[in-house]
Amino acid sequence: MSTETLDRPRSNRRTLTPLLFAAPALVIYLGFLVWPALQALWISLTDWDGLSDDNSFVGLDNYLAMLDDNVVGIAAVNNILWSVVTIVLPMALGLLLAVVLNRKSRTSPVLRTIFYAPAVLPLVAVASIWAWLYDPTDGAINTVLGAVGLDFLEQSWLGQDSTAIWAVMIAAVWVRTGFPMLLYLAALQSIPDEQYEAASMDGANRWQQFTRITFPSLKDTHYIVLALSLIESFKVFDLVYAMTYGGPGYSTQVMGTWMYANVFQYFNAGYGTAIAVVITIVAIAAGVPYVRSQVRNS
Amino acid sequence: MTTNALDASTRSQPAPPAPNTPSPRTRHRSRPNPAVTITALIGALIWITPLVLLIVSALRPLSDFLSNGPVSWPQQLTLENFPDAWDAGQFGTAYLNSTFLLVVKVPLGVFVAALLAYGLAKLEFPFRNFILFSVVLGMTIPIYIAIVPLFTMLRNVGMTDSIIGIIPPYMAFGLPLQVLILQAFFRRVPSELIEAARIDGAGDLRIFFRLVIPLSVPALVTVAILDGVATWNELFLALSLLSSEGNRTIPLGLLNFQGQFATNYTGLAAGILIAVVPILVLYMLLQKYIVGGLTAGATKG
Amino acid sequence: MTSSPRPRSTRPQARRGFLAGALSLPAVASLASCASGIATSSAAEGLTLLTYDDIDAANLLREQLTAFEDKTGLSTTLDTVPGSGAAQFPDKLRTRILGGNAPDIWRIWGGQIAQPFVDADLTIDLEKYYDSYAWDAVLSGSGVEGMTFHGEKHGAPLNVASLGAWCNARIFEEAGVSAPPVTYDELESANDTILEYGVTPAGFGGKYGWHIMRLFEFLLEVTAGPELHDALLLGEANWDQQAVVEAFDLFLTWDSRGWITEGALGVAPADAEQSFVQGTSAYTISGPWIETQYIAPSGQPREEFSTFLLPTGHDDVRHSGFIEGLMISTTCGNPDDAAALIDHILRPETQAALQNTQSATLEAAPDPEEFPLSAQWAQIREESAIYTIQDQAFPKAVADSYFALQSDVLQGNSAPSQAARDMQQIVADWRDSQ
Repeated sequence: MSTETLDRPRSNRRTLTPLLFAAPALVIYLGFLVWPALQALWISLTDWDGLSDDNSFVGLDNYLAMLDDNVVGIAAVNNILWSVVTIVLPMALGLLLAVVLNRKSRTSPVLRTIFYAPAVLPLVAVASIWAWLYDPTDGAINTVLGAVGLDFLEQSWLGQDSTAIWAVMIAAVWVRTGFPMLLYLAALQSIPDEQYEAASMDGANRWQQFTRITFPSLKDTHYIVLALSLIESFKVFDLVYAMTYGGPGYSTQVMGTWMYANVFQYFNAGYGTAIAVVITIVAIAAGVPYVRSQVRNS
Repeated sequence: MTTNALDASTRSQPAPPAPNTPSPRTRHRSRPNPAVTITALIGALIWITPLVLLIVSALRPLSDFLSNGPVSWPQQLTLENFPDAWDAGQFGTAYLNSTFLLVVKVPLGVFVAALLAYGLAKLEFPFRNFILFSVVLGMTIPIYIAIVPLFTMLRNVGMTDSIIGIIPPYMAFGLPLQVLILQAFFRRVPSELIEAARIDGAGDLRIFFRLVIPLSVPALVTVAILDGVATWNELFLALSLLSSEGNRTIPLGLLNFQGQFATNYTGLAAGILIAVVPILVLYMLLQKYIVGGLTAGATKG
Repeated sequence: MTSSPRPRSTRPQARRGFLAGALSLPAVASLASCASGIATSSAAEGLTLLTYDDIDAANLLREQLTAFEDKTGLSTTLDTVPGSGAAQFPDKLRTRILGGNAPDIWRIWGGQIAQPFVDADLTIDLEKYYDSYAWDAVLSGSGVEGMTFHGEKHGAPLNVASLGAWCNARIFEEAGVSAPPVTYDELESANDTILEYGVTPAGFGGKYGWHIMRLFEFLLEVTAGPELHDALLLGEANWDQQAVVEAFDLFLTWDSRGWITEGALGVAPADAEQSFVQGTSAYTISGPWIETQYIAPSGQPREEFSTFLLPTGHDDVRHSGFIEGLMISTTCGNPDDAAALIDHILRPETQAALQNTQSATLEAAPDPEEFPLSAQWAQIREESAIYTIQDQAFPKAVADSYFALQSDVLQGNSAPSQAARDMQQIVADWRDSQ
């Protein structure tokens, strides 16, 4: 960055300086995000194996093949389930916690720290911790269930299709609850007390105060949390990869891990990339309203 | 990237309120209710249990863990698990690499984002809205769509298995969120201040460095922390691009380590702690900035 | 399933051809120039070696590499991806090759795991080194065969690995099983006896699939017998038949009667594999590395452990086996040096120093003093032929579908007869794509 431009005549600055400010970021953004994403579109139309130097154009074959691939079906269902569960539960829990912790007390900051702490951990670490808690014989969860006489609930949590994806999602909820909690906490502080005072004078009980004042006042926050969580949920990879590796069988595969398997294990870079393209299109479509609202607001 | 999207801070609110500042208003509705307080405490206890078990396990010998079970008070305490785990997981290298990314990539990325954000917020810009929209849209793009082409690209310059080569893609995928937050913040820097400086003869660059940057330290720190956490924790790109031992980052080291330590639960716990302690400490120390960043925009005034 | 590899013609060796730009995409010159300012040389000096040794084994190997450096003046670098097993190591190797910094030498499993690398012209034909170092004479014949692809020797065998039962003899004895089972029925009743005694008989971990596969392939050998089993693996016999259904039935029996680790499908293989050493199971199906990796470090007396051939009930009692070897990359700048290093590693004295208990080097049998169990196993396996371990018999995508079927059967999502039909479909699709 040269400083020669500092004292340029005004007219010149008007045209060149903005470019100077924008150029480094735009070069990196275009070069390492936009351009690769566009290239991916092309790769998804080839049968490239990812290793050798021959590949040929196969049109939409990879996309059509996804229709016959039942693992894609499993992954799509898991992705949807993932989006719903890891958005709704953290939002509900986060709101509940925010309402409870929105008070002046010595414990509130400590509790807030505790509930948010999992969010800063590497997901690989979260996966290790939870895989260990879920261990059928030496894990804390089964040990506790056994100790309190609930032996019949002891499960091989990660070892059966019926519970594995849920078990992974529980770990995700543990990680993700702190985020809505903090946003809701901040929003709650901006609701004027007078509203509550007026309501209580009208005889509204706490639940009515919550449904009539608190919940509607948080409309913007609901929207932001929902949008950001939705965007985030399409990126699921780490937890599944490290906790179950997609198993048992294919039962916990999600689009991200199935794409990884195809590109890096099955020598099907073209097909794997097509999977990535589909999920990206869905993610962009889901994210556009939020991004638009953000840009319009500024 | 857990915390990548953790911010909303754009919705027209200036400097983040210091989160620990108690609300000036007292609320009759928030008078402590013992039942609620106790429930919250129990909830917090459950929430923190995995981490407590982790710490307790890391501090006890394996034999003690095996004979008393995972949920028990240790009869014996030891620190021996830590050196064992440190060596086996080769955490030394992983620390170096992750720290390098933290020290080099994060400030560089934030700086570049700040330049663009300022340009978009305060300078006359052709296609301003289109550019902002296109850059912010990048938030929604999962990193895995770019992996195969990124590979080819970095390979052509011999930089796939390189801690330096991974920096540009990391910067690219961090930019959207950073630009979104920072441009919203810069927008609230009073234009009169900038005009005054301009009348005094300062150019845009000088205004940016001498005026805007100092005014924006809280926002820059918030963005840097969010990016730091995301970078420290990033797995997918590292897993796909970095392959040799010397280039492992913390998540890769941990993944590797996980496979080896298997039933050595106490060693595994020590290894996990080694990997997460710096980020937890950083969080404890700087949490007000994280909270500030997270909440800056959510409270639409 | 669309994921079976596509056929590929074997092309004349195109050195670095795959690096030349795998895609016919517009040049990325502008980006290259943007990044070149910070480019570092990724080509390490000397020879790089990529293996999957764990820490201890890697340290032993490093000592041997140092000896080689002292002798030749060449420098070497060892990278390992420990703990990853056949599930992840090939991706890592592939990632490095694809990234343009292929190691000069890598260790890999044979069969369908190594095949794609050979087919993509990434490995060199070692024929001339076989001649100059007389490897044919000093290395196991079956090992060499396992590193031969399309009639060309693209690797030098390092290990001839084979799987048997590794057991906690103390538990067997205390439970009242006096002698190792010699018929399949005896094995079943041993399972019951051990279970009654209060210990899970067999420790298996099904995460990644291949560990639970060891049980199923054994059961298939029991029900199908040697000839049919081989034909099935080659896709020459129909999987939709009685013997396969019976194998799946037995597979279910093993699980439903509590003979294998509870919730085995979610358990990591490394956990399960050493559970018999810790006494939480009585035995596992594994190879002699068990002794060096788990039994010796546990510090427990060696007499408390034993190994035996899994009884199949056929005249010809075979066991599962696989080959591991070392390959040289086509990108290696100095293949002669690489071959010299391989030769150094394969010498009997080096193999002994590496404590390799399943060496492909003929003169490197395990020392009965130091590794009594491995020596015992080495004797046992000499009497018995091998069948190809199933994750080497099939390409990864096919093997994964196969593992998914096994998982479905164990969970009751798929009946044995359905699984047999599905497997026939999977194998037929794979054969068609070839």
